[in-house]
Amino acid sequence: MSDRSLTQTEVSLNPLSSERVNITIDGISLSVPKGENVIEAALNAGIDIPYFCYHPRLSKGDAANCRMCLVEVASTAPDGSVRKMPKPQTACTLPAAEGMIIDTNTEKINKDRKGVLEFLLINHPLDCPVCDRGGECPLQNNTLYYGASASRFTEEKRHYPKAYPLSAQVVLDRERCIQCARCTRFTDDISGDAQLGLLKRGSDVEVGTFAHTSFNSKFSGNVIELCPVGALTSRTYRFKSRPWDLMTQKSICSKCSNGCNIKLDYRMDEVLRVNARLNEDVNEEWTCDRGKFGHDYISSPDRLKSPLMRKDGKFVEVSWHQAYSLLADKLRAAGTNCGAIAGGRTTNESVYLLQKLFREILGSNNLDCRLDSNPLPASDPLFKKSLQTGMGNKIADLEKMKTIMVIGSDLQDEQPILFLRVRKAWRFKGAKVVYVSDHLTTDSTAVSDFASVNLIYQPGSEITVLKDLENALARVLSANTADSEPPAQLNTQPSEATGLSNNDIHLAASLLAKGEITIIAGKSVSQHSQYVELYQSLTNLLASTNSEGNLNIPVHECNSLGTMDMGMLPGSGPGFTKCAGGMGTAEMLQASADGNLQVLWVMGADPVQNFHNNELAVRGIENCPFLVVSELTLTETAKRADLVLPAVSIAEQEGTFTSCEGRVQKLFKAFEPVGSSKPDWLIVAELSAILGAKNLYFTFNDVLQSISKEVPGYEKINPGTIGDQGIFRTVPAAG
Amino acid sequence: MRDDEPTNNHSQISHPLMNNPAVKDFLTRITQGKGKAEDTAGSVKALATGFSITFKHYLEQQLKLKPTNTIQYPEERREQFPRTRWRHVLTRYDNGLEKCIGCSLCAGACPARCILVEAAENSDENRVSPGERYAAKYEINMLRCIFCGYCQDACPTGAIVLRKDFELASFSRADNLYTKEMLLEPYNASSRVPISVVDKQ
Ligand code: SF4
Ligand code: SF4
Ligand code: SF4
Ligand code: SF4
Repeated sequence: MSDRSLTQTEVSLNPLSSERVNITIDGISLSVPKGENVIEAALNAGIDIPYFCYHPRLSKGDAANCRMCLVEVASTAPDGSVRKMPKPQTACTLPAAEGMIIDTNTEKINKDRKGVLEFLLINHPLDCPVCDRGGECPLQNNTLYYGASASRFTEEKRHYPKAYPLSAQVVLDRERCIQCARCTRFTDDISGDAQLGLLKRGSDVEVGTFAHTSFNSKFSGNVIELCPVGALTSRTYRFKSRPWDLMTQKSICSKCSNGCNIKLDYRMDEVLRVNARLNEDVNEEWTCDRGKFGHDYISSPDRLKSPLMRKDGKFVEVSWHQAYSLLADKLRAAGTNCGAIAGGRTTNESVYLLQKLFREILGSNNLDCRLDSNPLPASDPLFKKSLQTGMGNKIADLEKMKTIMVIGSDLQDEQPILFLRVRKAWRFKGAKVVYVSDHLTTDSTAVSDFASVNLIYQPGSEITVLKDLENALARVLSANTADSEPPAQLNTQPSEATGLSNNDIHLAASLLAKGEITIIAGKSVSQHSQYVELYQSLTNLLASTNSEGNLNIPVHECNSLGTMDMGMLPGSGPGFTKCAGGMGTAEMLQASADGNLQVLWVMGADPVQNFHNNELAVRGIENCPFLVVSELTLTETAKRADLVLPAVSIAEQEGTFTSCEGRVQKLFKAFEPVGSSKPDWLIVAELSAILGAKNLYFTFNDVLQSISKEVPGYEKINPGTIGDQGIFRTVPAAG
Repeated sequence: MRDDEPTNNHSQISHPLMNNPAVKDFLTRITQGKGKAEDTAGSVKALATGFSITFKHYLEQQLKLKPTNTIQYPEERREQFPRTRWRHVLTRYDNGLEKCIGCSLCAGACPARCILVEAAENSDENRVSPGERYAAKYEINMLRCIFCGYCQDACPTGAIVLRKDFELASFSRADNLYTKEMLLEPYNASSRVPISVVDKQ
């Protein structure tokens, strides 16, 4: 068990005791793990107990405050006599014990529930018709099922100004708050910024940020879903719709590589809000704010509705027929002298067909998907081994680790869901965290807040830091001591250039020595100019810990990994297979700038904005003899194109994304594409057919089946197996 | 058709009346253009009997011997029953603010799914209804409406009501999409009787 002492009521977040006890709920005999909360035992058995403040993922520290889950409890003494507790108990804090007899549906309990609801409603405005929660509100539902039909309260209710802006995204209605403390516990337990608190006392209690600062958490959107009433609502969804007017479709977040499962709530073909969809192995039930509030691009008025062709310097709308004819002519004329750049935002199906078109029909190997400054060539075995394979651990397994080292990453920003797992491992599972970086962030929550040791080194000295760590680790292991104070004889000064103290290094090393370790390396490692050396030092460090450890270098865009898997790399075909080399992004841009590349196809990428060498990108894009861009809107790159093909968003197509941990997940189609836009894969399939492809693809399933057959590692993935929680692709041995 | 079948269909009429030799005889005669003078006399007698009833009622009406139930629509209109449910109206408070708060409960209750509500937020500069929220868009598709009145029942503010105007015919389907502007009660502040006066009356 961890050395951080957990309160007994937090037990539900940890592996349950293997010992089982016999309890009776409403006359049903159950055998449940000892210490499990009665509310969880009842809910698992399908017995309904109403609640507001209880939440399985939040600590029960200051919970049991809504009093809704009251039950009557009796205990059986060893001699068989039954003794009833004189007062009802809260089921959410009651650990199951042998012989417990619980009643959830007695006359007394029903009266208590009515009373509790009456108290909760005393200061509640009951403005359900204008409340964004109305229709999906636990308070409404519980009042309907368990409450009195009329109010006896005739006095004046508590009044506050409506719609207090907690932040740009979250709006607070203090009148509606029932003080359940779910939101405050979320910021304590999950996001870690601890920005929300319950202020004042008695009936004046209100939720707020300390000193009325802005609630700028990176995970603030979750409290909107957590709040059991309409006290916390979303600025963007405010008054947009009622739940019964909404349609919902399953989807995958397109904002980062973590692959959060989300639900798109839409009305009249417009996405109005994004909620988390439960996936215990990925995002549990959370999203980050980028995912929750960042999907307005789907229904943006700027979306392209038909193909655009440049005529006399201006874009004119043309039909698909004209667009395809022009593109096919240009590609035929260019022969092998063409190339494609696909961003990490397009689906596996699109990229798979794109590389097939270039490799098999056009005979060109100029394909790439990388816009960042990784110096490794894609054919380098180290590239495959370290960057193309994805993470060494699954996201869900991070919480099983004893020690987690995060290096060179603002994790909360780069990999929000990984951050939440790391924090959960620390907060509820007793893991220790070592944070290594050249700076601290000003973000409201960060790994450095809870790391046992922060190694903030002088920029540029990262390799020395890792060497020092390795040496310290060797000393710790040889002395077989894991004390926090370095023994005198081991007290050798670390290299001065790093600016770190010997104490910190020793502390970090002794944590690393404890085993079950994982290292998460961020952007500043994977894009470092000395990446090879850094990678070597990290693997050496792992090797010298004496325990099975894994290195995780997560990719960054929602389908970066899938794009590489599908073979969108020079010299690396689908599933890491070897194939003829070609030009990479930088070479293509250079060739295009020199006028040597006849046609460049940019799919779902914006090199002008995102390529690490901006000057080269602009020159390459502007001088390209024929630039075709498939995009949702007129990006900086698309503005400079000769032909723009309107593509569709995640809401309008079926497709698959491969997340940073290698989980292949499916996008479901919510509504029809805007205008005449088409999914990227369909654009490529139709063009391939025009150019004489032998295999024709008509549906998403056709393409996925073909991927399943032809891409090593994706054998198990087909329309029948993928489901709505996704399955892992396997990593083929680097070829 | 078999070759030996008679092509003259008259002989094919099969009706119980045809069992009556007189009827059969008569029909065969006139369809073959061999009608006699007495055949016509029977028809004239039947016509005269019918019109005499019409004429009798005409005289009764003209001489006001009996009360009349017919009214001269559209010059005259009948008083509707108090609970008649016809054309919807979006009502206002006496100060002119709209009662509708854009809650979409009417749309939720509507069994024909013919109401569309889109809400927006009131501001001090643009106050449409009391409170935070108002209907920016409110449409009823009258072609689908079954005039059940559930919307009126569901409305928490009494904004949408079904009143007595039943003349809803139109020349195009599109004209049956009633927008908020069409549904909203006209407001003329000066002609309004203050609520206190109404109470006293
Ligand atoms: S929080 Fe629930 S009960 Fe309260 S006003 Fe909103 S919908 Fe009604
Ligand atoms: S704002 Fe919502 S979640 Fe927070 S304490 Fe109030 S009711 Fe609970
Ligand atoms: S009267 Fe009935 S059918 Fe017509 S709009 Fe109202 S609820 Fe719908
Ligand atoms: S008419 Fe009534 S029920 Fe319909 S949106 Fe307006 S206030 Fe709500």
